[in-house]
Amino acid sequence: MVQLIMRQVMYEAQRALASPVRNPRMATVIGRLLGLAFVLCFGTGLYSHFLQEPLPGMHFATRPELLYQFTQGTHIVAGIACFPLLLAKLYIVFPDLFQQPPVKSFLNFLERASIALFVGASLVQITIGLLNTYQWYPWPFPFRETHFALGWVLIGSLALHIGIKLPIIARVWRKNADDGSGDDDHLTDAVAHDRAATPEAVRLFGSSRPTGVTGRLLAWIDATPALRVERSRSSASGPDAPDSGAAPQTAAGTGSGPASGPTADPAAPARNSAAARNRLSRRGFLTTVGVSVGTVVVLTAGQTVAPLDSLNAFAPRKKGVGQQGVPVNRTSKQADVAADALAAGWVLTVAHAGVERSFSRAELLALPQTEVELPIACVEGWSQLARWRGVRLRDLADLVSADAEASFRLTSLEKKGGYRQTTMGSEYVRDPLTLVALELNGETLDLEHGYPARMIAPGRPGVLQTKWLSRIEAMDV
Amino acid sequence: MSTASVTPQTGTAPQPNPLETPRENPALTPALRVTRVVLIALGLAGLAWGAYVLLDTVKPARIPGIALWMGAAIVLHDAVISPLVFFCGILLRRAGDRTSGTVILVVQGALVVGSIMTLIVVPLLIAQSRGTGNPTVLPLDYGVNFAVFWGVLAVITAAASFGLYARGRKRLR
Ligand code: HEM
Repeated sequence: MVQLIMRQVMYEAQRALASPVRNPRMATVIGRLLGLAFVLCFGTGLYSHFLQEPLPGMHFATRPELLYQFTQGTHIVAGIACFPLLLAKLYIVFPDLFQQPPVKSFLNFLERASIALFVGASLVQITIGLLNTYQWYPWPFPFRETHFALGWVLIGSLALHIGIKLPIIARVWRKNADDGSGDDDHLTDAVAHDRAATPEAVRLFGSSRPTGVTGRLLAWIDATPALRVERSRSSASGPDAPDSGAAPQTAAGTGSGPASGPTADPAAPARNSAAARNRLSRRGFLTTVGVSVGTVVVLTAGQTVAPLDSLNAFAPRKKGVGQQGVPVNRTSKQADVAADALAAGWVLTVAHAGVERSFSRAELLALPQTEVELPIACVEGWSQLARWRGVRLRDLADLVSADAEASFRLTSLEKKGGYRQTTMGSEYVRDPLTLVALELNGETLDLEHGYPARMIAPGRPGVLQTKWLSRIEAMDV
Repeated sequence: MSTASVTPQTGTAPQPNPLETPRENPALTPALRVTRVVLIALGLAGLAWGAYVLLDTVKPARIPGIALWMGAAIVLHDAVISPLVFFCGILLRRAGDRTSGTVILVVQGALVVGSIMTLIVVPLLIAQSRGTGNPTVLPLDYGVNFAVFWGVLAVITAAASFGLYARGRKRLR
């Protein structure tokens, strides 16, 4: 008895949630875009990860100079696009939450558990990613390690999910190929409707609908005329007219409620207009998703995509805003370096195999200077092109006779923090664009940008463009 | 949330769950069946690796926090956001009494676009009010931009609705 009532409640929930956009085809269409966004995020995320923590023997491309700006910009743009896409996907499959019975078999239990994990991990991943770009960290766990591990969890869940759903995906594809119309009129509520008439339910409730509050609520919903379709005349005879008698019905038009409205005529026109209505709903849904993705992207991507700068309303960074026209990730105060960086006795030490040479800023300025135009591109997804001037790192490396294959260890004046000491691969050390920069955009480097001297190299994340340099040392090959 | 449970069917006999009977599934060619097995195997491997990386790099004391956030995210979505969307949908459908279908779709769409932007901007405003200690982070007047955003959205929606309404009237005549 209790079981039966539960089942009826779950069924009613599914039925009340039924909608022409909640169907396997829409789940596949949106899922494809969401999957693409996840794969883009994962790929660019992995790239960013390995730049910071290369596996032994890894080497990276130093061209094009905008490479990292592009990959990490893509990460954040695709990541933002995940918000509307993920919500749309969850909207489509939401009625399945009320599946009856809740667990059909052990495998079904595993599948549902894996989906719960997938959904929870996705929501957390995009939320902490977004808040991280706001430099707000209200969670009780470390960001980078968690985001990295969840990345694997998500990509694994995605593959698993596609594998499990492949029969449905294949069916949608086949249907597209068969009739070319791409319309799938088999809706979640079509199934629910069949189940509604189970003899037990009828016996139990006297009808296929519960009484009481739920029943009245549903009757109220059903009493609403279905969406009217101005275009019904043209589309009913159009190329994508319904191909079968299994016309879908929206929740608004199903069941015993009076199917009113201007279209409740004899069977055939009613069917046609119901199909047209559903098609309209689906188009509206897809348009809404598209516009949402466009809106969130266009109003935030200006922090890295220069042509969109004027539309940048909601990005955490703004091009040109910062000392010398360049945004700052970590301030001198946060890094607690001001005293050491401004000290008169500052020198940059260059070391190799016991040989150490020290250069004051004046001595560095006396060496051959090179000017390059390179972006500072942050892990947080913003970037800023700038003009840098200073000494080629490879010239300094040659002064201490460092091996051409040697990686360098860079040390900052920072007292703590994960990036106080980092390693630079030989491909960057030997690149003619890699500088120990002393000037930025025609002026002496600002303290916030790493005065007295900082690294700038092509295609590296900003956190590795060490500011407030104190020591650079060739490592054993 | 299995779409497998809502696959089309014509009779009252339950459709076999493709998960349970992969070999008899008529939708799968042999090539697809292999693809499926490979995907599932890779997926499980990815999951296992992710779990290992998590346990390897995050202190055990921090793991419950992650689980809590994932659970809270699901509850927030399934028990707060979804019902909210559902009831807004009903209200709009009732309003359908008095307006034409396409106008409803436009208004509904605009509300969705606005809500999603709001979801992204509200934490931005909170973060800004907390302060970041870095004037180059969150430097814009996001509150003003947000008001302008909703204003522009409202104007576009009103214009589009009016256009559709006028077109509908003309056609009825
Ligand atoms: C589901 C989609 C996503 C996946 C699979 C993903 C994956 C990754 C991975 C693997 C990394 C590298 C982590 C590391 O360096 O160890 C990363 C970094 C990052 N991601 Fe995501 N991410 C996703 C969504 C997002 C979103 C939506 C945002 C923000 C809007 C975001 C912001 C970031 C940031 C700021 C970093 C740099 C972290 C750092 O190096 O400090 N991610 N992501």
